[in-house]
Amino acid sequence: MSDGSGNRMTRWLKESTVWRSLFRHGVPRDRRTRVMAVMSNVFLHLHPVAVRKSGIRLSFTWCMGGLTFFLFLAEVVSGVLLMFYYRPVIEYAYQDIQDLRAHVTLGILREIHRWGAHAMIISIWLHMMRVFLTGSYKPPREFNWIVGVFLLVLTMLLSFTGYLLPWDQLAIWAITVGTQMALYAPLAGPESSFLILGGIEIGQGTLLRFYVAHVVLFPLVTAILLIVHFWRIRKDGGISGPV
Amino acid sequence: MTIEKRPNATADKNAPTQAPSEAPLAAPGAGPKLPGPPGVPGTERFRLLAYVKQESMVRVDKRPDETVLTWPHLLRAEFVMLMLMTALLVVVSAFIRAPLEEMANPVITPHVAKAPWYFLGLQELLSYFNATVAGVLVIPVYLGGLMLIPFIDRTPYRAARDRKLMWVFFLCLMIGGLIITFIGSFFRGPSWQWVWPWEGLFFTL
Amino acid sequence: MTQHTSYGEVHGPRAGEISRRGFMRRMLGIGTGILSLQFLGGTIAFLWPNVTEGLGAEITLGTAEDINSAAPDWAQGLPYIYNPARLFVVNVPAGKARVAQESGGAVEAEASLPVPDPGEDVLALWRKCPHLGCQVPQLCEFSQWFECLCHGSQYTILGEYRAGPAPRGMDRFPMRLDGDVYIVDTREVESGPPPGTVTFDDREPGDMQHCAG
Ligand code: HEM
Ligand code: FES
Repeated sequence: MSDGSGNRMTRWLKESTVWRSLFRHGVPRDRRTRVMAVMSNVFLHLHPVAVRKSGIRLSFTWCMGGLTFFLFLAEVVSGVLLMFYYRPVIEYAYQDIQDLRAHVTLGILREIHRWGAHAMIISIWLHMMRVFLTGSYKPPREFNWIVGVFLLVLTMLLSFTGYLLPWDQLAIWAITVGTQMALYAPLAGPESSFLILGGIEIGQGTLLRFYVAHVVLFPLVTAILLIVHFWRIRKDGGISGPV
Repeated sequence: MTIEKRPNATADKNAPTQAPSEAPLAAPGAGPKLPGPPGVPGTERFRLLAYVKQESMVRVDKRPDETVLTWPHLLRAEFVMLMLMTALLVVVSAFIRAPLEEMANPVITPHVAKAPWYFLGLQELLSYFNATVAGVLVIPVYLGGLMLIPFIDRTPYRAARDRKLMWVFFLCLMIGGLIITFIGSFFRGPSWQWVWPWEGLFFTL
Repeated sequence: MTQHTSYGEVHGPRAGEISRRGFMRRMLGIGTGILSLQFLGGTIAFLWPNVTEGLGAEITLGTAEDINSAAPDWAQGLPYIYNPARLFVVNVPAGKARVAQESGGAVEAEASLPVPDPGEDVLALWRKCPHLGCQVPQLCEFSQWFECLCHGSQYTILGEYRAGPAPRGMDRFPMRLDGDVYIVDTREVESGPPPGTVTFDDREPGDMQHCAG
């Protein structure tokens, strides 16, 4: 496209009101447009326009916070796709999971979702380790550390509620043992078990409750806390400097 | 006269650092109280209202060579990470099947009933202690302890050599947790009896 | 430092009084608090399960005759397994006699087998192990105890704790006779007796062979 019509077309396109309403600056090639690109895009704007060199070194963050976030996104995408086939009813749930493997094209979505969930738990622990080891929870980042602990709990809860959904022997007995353990905590009596399980023991009520918590409640709360988490990183002066 | 002074301490410009005359018009009872009768030199006290660390202020005065532009440096790193992660996830998923056992049956308990792996450390602990003690100890103390870390470790140092005790303490917790999770995952079989991994693996992801 | 004369007199509520604004602010705070509590309470109330069948409801088991025809060993002391509600229905006199017989004289019992109709003397033990919730299997043939296979908790035929990691004896449900029909009320779980409760069968775990633990 060195000359002639192609060029004219591009020129015309780029000068059109539609194009200009979408892209407010040129291709990010120089310092000014690169700064603009980050500033004017709501998603990129999660980032500051410039970061400390140390902050993007792999040896400093291990990239674990970012990886945890990407895994969260991967879980959201694959999870929404799974929702198109899965029904949280004890008569159907197990069969739907089997069909997801046997009859659905590209039937590895369930695998992606499950391995992603395990990976997310590992990466969130590693992320917490690195934040601790680099002393990045020190003022002014104390609050973000606490937000982080809540995210940790939510990640475990997401994984735990998802574990029940295939409704196989593995699922119900792991969840039986898991909830029973959690209920040893102080203040948690048979009433809280009743409320969580939606009945005296694991059954249809539990499946539906876990499903709603897994696909709506916990992801929503996690997403909100993630916004807080990222906001606080920026307000606290970006990723902490070198130790 | 007492002035709390720390390096770089910057008080809020709008805050009444001198006399409290405006304070009652705002929330009663709120606002800084300055003891000492006004007008008697030497009795005023100053309070530190905010302590803005250099690091957390807008970095206008830093030399530019300490930072790099987000576009392209950070975004490129993130993009590579995202691609690697997606590729790995897809490959692993294509080759390793997610487990699925028989349909749930509340009447048949399998011989090995284990919680999901990330709770197996807790399950292992529960087999040592009385259930209520472990319940009280583990969940609230662990989570509460985690949340309190920034308020327990008040030193301003971040390097490992300056906070050996915290490092050792934290690493002990983490490695201890890892070890009992391993034991619960790979060394426990039917009736939660000790089993060597080569005698049988009772672990499902 | 400077003199403060220019600031004039301080106007504010007298001690013990509250200003109009202060009052409004406080009421606003309290109102928001009450509203949040109501929201929380309402959410929990909405989510509170109202169970009308199966476990969590009143369950009619039938007469002793019905049970005997469903499980002929009931009169011989073997607990009747009622799976829709995951129950052991224990015929207490027959059960005690059975343990006495099988233990070879280590335990004594009043009645002798068979006992086809124990009347009111019946226990509805919940098969969910109070440790971590596994299904407790039928009496172990060696010990005549209930022995959970998951982590080896052991209970007597009356559901009293004897060994293992469980925190208490087996949980149970109140049972009543309506005419001659047994009715179990599973709306409220009764916690099992604390460890150390020994009303029957005082054998030690070391005294015999076991199925688990
Ligand atoms: C869903 C879970 C989480 C996500 C997606 C997440 C994401 C991130 C990201 C992207 C960063 C930037 C630096 C980095 O990549 O290391 C970060 C920083 C941070 N995270 Fe997390 N995080 C999560 C959970 C946690 C947890 C469990 C903790 C600790 C208990 C925590 C505490 C912090 C703190 C204090 C910082 C600031 C560190 C610094 O400035 O160097 N986060 N997080
Ligand atoms: S669940 Fe029965 S002993 Fe653990």
